Amino acid sequence: MDAITLSLWLLRIVFLVFLYLFLFAVVRVLVRDLRAAAREPEAELGRLFVIASPGGEPLAGSVFPLDAITSLGRDVNNTILIDDRFASSEHAILTFRGRAWYVEDTGSTNGTYVNGERVDGVAPISYGEELQIGQVRFRLERSRR
Amino acid sequence: MTARPQPVDAAGTGGSPGATRSSSGAGTGAALPAVLRAIRPRLRWRELWLLVLVAATLIVGAISLNATVVTRGADPDLGLPSGAIALHGGPLLLVYLGALFIAHLAQVVAGRRTDEVLLPAVGMLGGLSLLLMARLPQDLAGQFGGLAQTQLVWLLIALALTTTAAIVVRSDRWLRLYKYTWAAAGVGLLLLTFLFGRDVNGVRLTLDLGPVSGQPSELLKVILVIFLAAYLSENRALLVEQSSRLGPIRLPPLPYLAPMVAMWALALGIVVVQRDLGAALLFFAVFLILLYVATARVSYVAIGVVLFLVGSWVMYHLFGHVRERVDIWIDPFSDPRDSGYQIVQSLYAFGRGGILGTGLGNGLPAVGGRLPIPEIHTDFPFAALGEELGLIGVLAILGLYLVVIERGLRIAAAAADDFRALLATGLSLVVGVQAFIIAGGNLKLVPLTGITLPFVSYGGSSLLANAAVVGLLLALSDRGVEPPTPPRKARRLARLFDRGAP
Repeated sequence: MDAITLSLWLLRIVFLVFLYLFLFAVVRVLVRDLRAAAREPEAELGRLFVIASPGGEPLAGSVFPLDAITSLGRDVNNTILIDDRFASSEHAILTFRGRAWYVEDTGSTNGTYVNGERVDGVAPISYGEELQIGQVRFRLERSRR
Repeated sequence: MTARPQPVDAAGTGGSPGATRSSSGAGTGAALPAVLRAIRPRLRWRELWLLVLVAATLIVGAISLNATVVTRGADPDLGLPSGAIALHGGPLLLVYLGALFIAHLAQVVAGRRTDEVLLPAVGMLGGLSLLLMARLPQDLAGQFGGLAQTQLVWLLIALALTTTAAIVVRSDRWLRLYKYTWAAAGVGLLLLTFLFGRDVNGVRLTLDLGPVSGQPSELLKVILVIFLAAYLSENRALLVEQSSRLGPIRLPPLPYLAPMVAMWALALGIVVVQRDLGAALLFFAVFLILLYVATARVSYVAIGVVLFLVGSWVMYHLFGHVRERVDIWIDPFSDPRDSGYQIVQSLYAFGRGGILGTGLGNGLPAVGGRLPIPEIHTDFPFAALGEELGLIGVLAILGLYLVVIERGLRIAAAAADDFRALLATGLSLVVGVQAFIIAGGNLKLVPLTGITLPFVSYGGSSLLANAAVVGLLLALSDRGVEPPTPPRKARRLARLFDRGAP
């Protein structure tokens, strides 16, 4: 094997080595990213974003992390207190069952609305959809990681 | 127990990133125009470091290629371009690397918190494509000069498209709201191709629009993913419910089965009318994947696979072109000089490559001045790279596609709502599945179909469509405005600046 052939062979190998160096660097970034994501606590199942709230409680723009069962209404014993003239004291319950969210109207006077449609009993609600209680409008969102 | 509202991180939740931004920049940027005030450069060290590695790798590759070509001389029997043209690959590569770094700088200036791995991974694939095109005979194809020059022009346009999409696309409303418009556009594109398309090698895929010709099925796959993501995210809750039963199998409510049947019919239609097996397989596979991701029901996938098998069986017995493809796949050596020629030569190429490969510029001896594998630049780049880089190189390339898929799924997992999650999944898997179909075809793992290897194959439509996919993925990966830093020092400074402001 003469010098030229040998150097050509070396160049080929160096190219392949560089290719794998790049892959290795990428994988290292990916693993770090996944580790960082795994470290973050993942307690919340979803979150409720307040789009509009004329009454000021809850504050428009605030975000509520959700548990499996969340009650909403004007009574102070609710998980999320809604101080709105058109909300009942025990207005609605938001539950996470299996893989999907459901909203149940607990006999409110003015009704609960999902995307503008009145909920009769229990209705499914998915991420990105709008929930209206009284004059307060929420949006159900996936928890962020 | 009373939940307390958290401070808002408007972070791309569709809230108002603009509001947070202007409040912090109000002190200094009052005199600047609105556009400039919104610009806040953000360094991307990971991307820069990975791009430096990409540049180093590709430059070593170009040196290796040119050294080989110069040493062996311009031998017409080897199917190599003459030494002068091959050396030309150097400047082309430098232009490409320059464009990659410009794309990086543009994203730094735009300052969005987007993914930093996708661009280097895809950039590496594009660079390998450029090296391969510079090494193939230059008169194979090309609208702008030779093969490599044309590929470079398309790569540059593709990079520009990716970067623009990554910087400009901030809202997904225009994708989400007009889903039926998108679907109609896709079907229209299909009909146009059928009516006015040009037959190339017996496959009606190419549509001529004045001087430009393109393959609409590449664009169609992006449109399809957008439509499916919008449709499935809207009807997810309904699809998960099981209301109708068929014997032991539980089915979704019947009206919502309609799109499934429609997709199946569409895939079959593409096979019959356009004779495009690859696109049909890709569309149906991506549809099933998205359906599974949206509903988590294995039964739907099972129904889909059964539909697929039934459709394939009927197609095999009814249509000659399908039967021919399958027969070649099962035994290419029964007719190695004619119909099985491509696959036989492809298998020989992989065999010659072995584990370490023959080295760039060292493979593919042409037989009697004929190209070893017809359509090597569009359908068989994987075989060409398999010969010159060997098993090791091919595994690295497959690894790069896996990286693209991983990033897509990661973006989907962090997405704010169902539509974005499904869109990111679909976009990354459409690239991954396409790569698998054509790589498997080259390796005789699945029947060979004439679709492109994303980011590597020669061709404008393929590069542009895949560039749009990466651009959308980058835009979707935006993690929003960085959370404000809480320390008191900054607050005091801000108060100083804001003094006098209302």
